[in-house]
Amino acid sequence: MTRFAESTITFPYKRSLGPVVGAFMTALTDKRILGIRNGKDILVPPMEWDPTTGAELAPDFVEVGPVGTVESWTWVPTPSVQHPLQHAFAFALIRLDGATTPLLHAVDGGSSERMVEGLRVAPRWRGTRVGRIDDIICFVMGEVPETDGGDTGAAQEPVQRMDYHASITYRNPVPAATDRAVVASRNRRLLGLRCPRCERVYAGGKGYCPVDAVELGPECEVDLPTVGTITNFAIVTPVSYPGQTETEPFVRAFVLLDGTDVVIGYSPVIELPADEVRVGQRVAAVWASPAEEHDQEGGMGGAWGSLLGWMPNGEPDIDDPDLVNRIF
Amino acid sequence: MAAASGGRRPVAVVSFAQSDMVRREELRNDVEVLQPVIVDVFEKVGLTKDEMGFVCSGSCDYLVGAPFSFVSALDAVGAWPPMRESHVEMDGAFALYEAWTQLQEDDIDTALVFSFGRSSMSELGRVLTLQLDPYYVAPLWPDPVALAALQARALIDSGRYTEADFAAVAARSRRDALNNPHAQVKGEQTAEELMGDDYVVAPLRRHALPPITDGATAIILAAGDRAAELCERPAWITGMDHRIETHSLGARDLTTSPTTRRAGEAAGVVEVGDGSGAPVGVGVDVAELHAPFAHQELILRDALGLGEAVAVNPSGGALAANGVMVAGLVRIGEAASRIMDGTAQSALAHATSGPCLQQNLVCALAAEPAGDGRR
Ligand SMILES: [Zn+2]
Repeated sequence: MTRFAESTITFPYKRSLGPVVGAFMTALTDKRILGIRNGKDILVPPMEWDPTTGAELAPDFVEVGPVGTVESWTWVPTPSVQHPLQHAFAFALIRLDGATTPLLHAVDGGSSERMVEGLRVAPRWRGTRVGRIDDIICFVMGEVPETDGGDTGAAQEPVQRMDYHASITYRNPVPAATDRAVVASRNRRLLGLRCPRCERVYAGGKGYCPVDAVELGPECEVDLPTVGTITNFAIVTPVSYPGQTETEPFVRAFVLLDGTDVVIGYSPVIELPADEVRVGQRVAAVWASPAEEHDQEGGMGGAWGSLLGWMPNGEPDIDDPDLVNRIF
Repeated sequence: MAAASGGRRPVAVVSFAQSDMVRREELRNDVEVLQPVIVDVFEKVGLTKDEMGFVCSGSCDYLVGAPFSFVSALDAVGAWPPMRESHVEMDGAFALYEAWTQLQEDDIDTALVFSFGRSSMSELGRVLTLQLDPYYVAPLWPDPVALAALQARALIDSGRYTEADFAAVAARSRRDALNNPHAQVKGEQTAEELMGDDYVVAPLRRHALPPITDGATAIILAAGDRAAELCERPAWITGMDHRIETHSLGARDLTTSPTTRRAGEAAGVVEVGDGSGAPVGVGVDVAELHAPFAHQELILRDALGLGEAVAVNPSGGALAANGVMVAGLVRIGEAASRIMDGTAQSALAHATSGPCLQQNLVCALAAEPAGDGRR
């Protein structure tokens, strides 16, 4: 029975707009729609470059619309939560009056029977506008623009940035080798897999020998020592970004397991301040107590299961100048 | 951009392998899907990865939501001892382009190209929306089916094709796919029967959409004499080119594919007739076109000037299996296979990327090397 790990990844982009897109977005807050002159053409939305030749365009903006004509459309019968409208609507290419190229946007058309090439549409503005393409909620039929709710007016300053938050939810099967490693970690065992061809040993639930490209099944499993030596480390000074939970400098160490060739990288250290970490330091594995165990994450996550990290075991350091080269 | 291989060493496809293309690979991860394909592509020509002068892959981290997933995929190839390796966040056809340029210029004789993708791990429509213009378009979340439907409506409004033509493309693809053991969507249905399908997003009915596909594929390229040693009938690449159109959907004529035509001209398989300016396909027995939506095959046929005598998508094409990052490289493999198995003297493969055929690659293949035949 395959186990699945569900995870949602959010991409909280902040995008700088530049002088052309920024001018368009700033005008939207004032309920005006801008195009840019390209020879005889007026490109809407404005582009920085000629779409055919790539030549840079001068910032020669022209106000268009706001009323326009539907050139092509498609009906979306069941919108998703991200879509501009939560009932059936049309995506349409709308040529605003005065424009040469059409703008892609949503049309609140009521039913697909009412959508037709040549339909006249006008914007429905958001009451509070921030300088995004969805300051226009959608277009509505007719020649009269609408505003949704109380109008808070145009932006006081030019709009220079926009937020764009995307998120995607994944449902990934967990490989069998990873699951076996996690189960072993619950019993304080560090599972390795020995390649039958090259004899190399891998930790972390890696079900393949990347050198020989052969699968490593349960018959390849070996128990690894849970004591080792720090070969190298980095002190990471966290910068603030969405999702970063660390606030103080922290250590990620590489640990060479005793009597093996196995190096476990990027490991947290426990009860060991950042300014006291040394190459050659002797450490032992620290395991989560059953109460601390989560479904699929210990301190290191994934196939490491209940392994939280490494703690000094009190033995004297190993003095070997070659140790620092052992990062894999 | 390099075009026809005038004066440089000729390069050929000598081996091609692919996984079964399926709706959902639940039990295998990327490495496990890929590894048997890599074994297969090597076994067909009796080579090992240690003999590869270059390895290049195409994949997309957004599909499985894992950063640098292409690095772990190298486990399926074997990454020790160190090798010359590269990756493109694109369909494997574009990775093949990179390998082709290396082989022509360089002292290496062989290259492995592979690609993989499991589209079933998330909502593919959301993933593909992330490739759109992030300022003007992506915040509205038009998914790829909605954008393709806008293109299809524009094509119908141009008066050149109807919904029945889309159904005819789908019926032929499914029928041809009956002979392709790796294909996902296959069957014996007439266009009239398919016209009974519901609209997914009008004017696109169910049959005009590609399936969601998990799978992997691999190709081995060889240069000069090495190609002839490895393969009885190498599929020589006589020209290849790729072109991209503006990201502004409104600034494009969605009913035509000017970049496909120009790539075809540069690859030497399209000539633009005098006067009319209409493209004419030259020297093509078989064409494998990466048209994820049925109407796009019609746009591509017109752009490449393919006549009735050309066998289009005998594999079933992308309507029969559309592995994201995979289907373009499969087109090259299928086209090359028609030369390697002796059923064609010349072939054309096309790969696309981006919304509504934004970026297009054309690869021309033949049973004989281009030009003076120097190897
Ligand atoms: Zn091995």
